[in-house]
Amino acid sequence: MLSFKKTVSFMNILKYFLIVLLLVFVLFPFIYMVSTSLKSEPDQFRSPPVFFPHRIFFDNYKQALEPKFVRYFLNSFIITLSTTFLVIFVSIFSSYAFSRLKFIGRKFVLKFIILTQLFPLVVIIIPMYMVFAKIHLIDTYISLIIAYLSFTVPVGVWILRGFFKGIPYSLEEAAMVDGCTRLQAFLKVVLPLARPGISATSVYIFIVTWQEFMFALTFLSDQKMRTLPVGILDFIRQYGINWGGLMAASTLITIPVFIIFLILQKQFIAGLTQGSIKG
Amino acid sequence: MVKKIVYKESITAVYFILPTLLLILIVIVFPICKAIYESLHKSTLILLKPKFVGFGNYILILKSAIFWQIFVHSIIWTVTVVIFQFLIGIGSALLLNKDFPGRDIIRGIIILPWIIPGVVAGLIWILLYDPQLGMINRILYDMGFIHKYITWLSNRKLALLAVIIVAIWKGFPFSSLMYIAALQGIDSELIDAATIDGAGKWRQFINIIIPTISPVIRITLLLTFIWTFNYFEIIYIMTNGGPGNSTHIFPTYIYNVSFRQFRFGLASSYAIITFLILLIFSLFYMKELERREILD
Repeated sequence: MLSFKKTVSFMNILKYFLIVLLLVFVLFPFIYMVSTSLKSEPDQFRSPPVFFPHRIFFDNYKQALEPKFVRYFLNSFIITLSTTFLVIFVSIFSSYAFSRLKFIGRKFVLKFIILTQLFPLVVIIIPMYMVFAKIHLIDTYISLIIAYLSFTVPVGVWILRGFFKGIPYSLEEAAMVDGCTRLQAFLKVVLPLARPGISATSVYIFIVTWQEFMFALTFLSDQKMRTLPVGILDFIRQYGINWGGLMAASTLITIPVFIIFLILQKQFIAGLTQGSIKG
Repeated sequence: MVKKIVYKESITAVYFILPTLLLILIVIVFPICKAIYESLHKSTLILLKPKFVGFGNYILILKSAIFWQIFVHSIIWTVTVVIFQFLIGIGSALLLNKDFPGRDIIRGIIILPWIIPGVVAGLIWILLYDPQLGMINRILYDMGFIHKYITWLSNRKLALLAVIIVAIWKGFPFSSLMYIAALQGIDSELIDAATIDGAGKWRQFINIIIPTISPVIRITLLLTFIWTFNYFEIIYIMTNGGPGNSTHIFPTYIYNVSFRQFRFGLASSYAIITFLILLIFSLFYMKELERREILD
């Protein structure tokens, strides 16, 4: 009995040790990010470096909140929210059809949609750039939103379809027996039930779009139009990197996505597997 | 009767899927067709009219030493990142599966690297790796592992390892999430029964947990494989393929060929080759989906 207890407590210690190790691995860069964002210039350029600032210094955040960065924030929000809204709007209809209706070519189209996920985005960026340059769409929100649809619509359809499959068919059948059309049954019965799935999918699309860098770097040359991931490169200057400002801006970029994720974490985890695994 | 229903539903389905189909045609199918077209032409910034060269670009690529160099880097990069994301992902999922005080907060925290922009991740790690200002050198030095400060990102032998570590850190939380969700689906009676039968933790892991969640494992491995293979930001921002091409993988190299050298034709051929490499994996994936009737 005694030895049993011993192994249990040893396992527990090992477990907590591993959890601490995992947390250190994950958090160390973040803590250093925040701590650098609070360092004054002499502290930033100390070698060997110091982990914590000698004195808390908020000026870096003033730089990160300059009007042009506020503009980048705004650009990112406009583009990310429009993309998310558009993707959800378009894919709720098709994912519903894929989950419910038996139609000719259904499997083929679905397979094709999944296949598109495997394309390297560089394949798409070159022709898109050439076309956008020709029709003068470079440096517009629309160019980025169109580009982002290429990798968000397939995922949106795929995840949402999983959710619709989880909603019992009998509910809308009853509604249709009562005289609803397919569309009415969908809008009035199925859609309200799918709300958790829709928010999980939105979170995923928001996170992916918020991060996007390659298209934004290529399609936006006008400084005013830049999104955050490209805009923070402003802190990298000819004579060196302004680490304090850069890390302050990085901290500010992280906050909105983290908050959204924390609020919707549970639904999101459920949604990931439901969408991609369940038949 | 059944045929009639299928026909009627086909009509309804058209309205439901038409917007999605149109979008996919415009933003995916058309660009890919254009890329294939470009890949058969020689086009540069000065050459205003692209010249048809057939498979010339492809032959040029397959004969070049740089292609094989990048191929090897891409494989090393992808396989290492995927394996470690799997190990850390499943390990952390097991650790965070059982309830204990603060578990939900810790779950929320470990997701952080996955939700921040790749550029931000890259920049934080550039600072950590900095030879003079970076904490990594300082800690390794203080602990006695190294005797002089190392220039991680400009060392041909270490740069690839350095960016691989960042990619593992950035992406493993996705695997964790998938495995956490999968573990929640395991019937706890199975585990209880095994415990009563005297099966140790390791036996339970091998004989019950792994087989039960293996569909999730397979799909997660495949997704992370594809995403890592196509991952652009971290390498672009941290080393941009350097020093001396030692960290170039396909996406970063293709980006350079197209938007630094403006050789769109050549870059398109590279992109198509990359896709074909991934297609081999995707075919296996499609088979798996069909076998498990996920598409029905």
